[in-house]
Amino acid sequence: MIDSRHIGFATQPSTVAVDPWRVQLFCQAIGEPDPIYRDESAARDAGHPACLVPPTFLRAIEADHCSAAEILKILGIPVASVLHAEQSFEYHAPVHVGDRIEVTRTLIDSYDKRDGALTFIVLDSHFRREGDTVCESRQIIVVRNPKE
Amino acid sequence: MNTPRPQRIELECGPVSALDLALYAAASGDHNPLHLDADVAKAAGFERPVVHGMLTMAFCGRLLTSHFGVAALRSLSVRFLGAATRGDRVVLRGTLTSVDKEGVAIYELAGHNDAGQELVAGSARVSAPAHKTAP
Repeated sequence: MIDSRHIGFATQPSTVAVDPWRVQLFCQAIGEPDPIYRDESAARDAGHPACLVPPTFLRAIEADHCSAAEILKILGIPVASVLHAEQSFEYHAPVHVGDRIEVTRTLIDSYDKRDGALTFIVLDSHFRREGDTVCESRQIIVVRNPKE
Repeated sequence: MNTPRPQRIELECGPVSALDLALYAAASGDHNPLHLDADVAKAAGFERPVVHGMLTMAFCGRLLTSHFGVAALRSLSVRFLGAATRGDRVVLRGTLTSVDKEGVAIYELAGHNDAGQELVAGSARVSAPAHKTAP
């Protein structure tokens, strides 16, 4: 169980730029061939104002803001003992290359299962562009606690 | 509004190479050695480095965007059930479960590796395709 005083912990908002080079590298890593992520004229031809980003790219922006590893460090939990249990994204508006995205993360809940063998940590992220929410995401981490 | 949607969609990704894992680590900022270092993976009980769960989820994203376009995706949600390891192919399937009055379709998602091990289960909401205006 984590100390309950950590529930509600929120990061200070910071702004991360969506860098074309980063998006291109991300596409290369995931085997994404669609030119709308890297070729501005292809994006315009498809009716978009600029290149888009792949659906899970915001995790990279989130890591630049404050990674799960950094939050685990604050909680005193070794990274080697955790697994990523669940991840979800709610999309409100498309994110484009060149956007500046403000990110905050909040530890909204934590609970134990299997008589304390597992601790679940629920982290929500909020992504805004010029004040408007473009995406909300949730990461659930499971900590395998050492046997006492 | 009630655009017909495919009942099933499928995408096969990989085999996931050491280079893919290194590129994904750099692009995502997740440098956990479990994904990169065979010795660390072995010590954690895996035969080979573990594919980032978020890379498998990115493949789920490709399954949907390759059929519907990224701007149509309203939500994407997965539970990680198992870990793919380096060299695995990852097969993703989506099954249409419903379409509401606004034309938003819900697909149930499932992913497994070529050994048949379940990797992810989840769902996605996809809005009605935007009609491209003629140039």
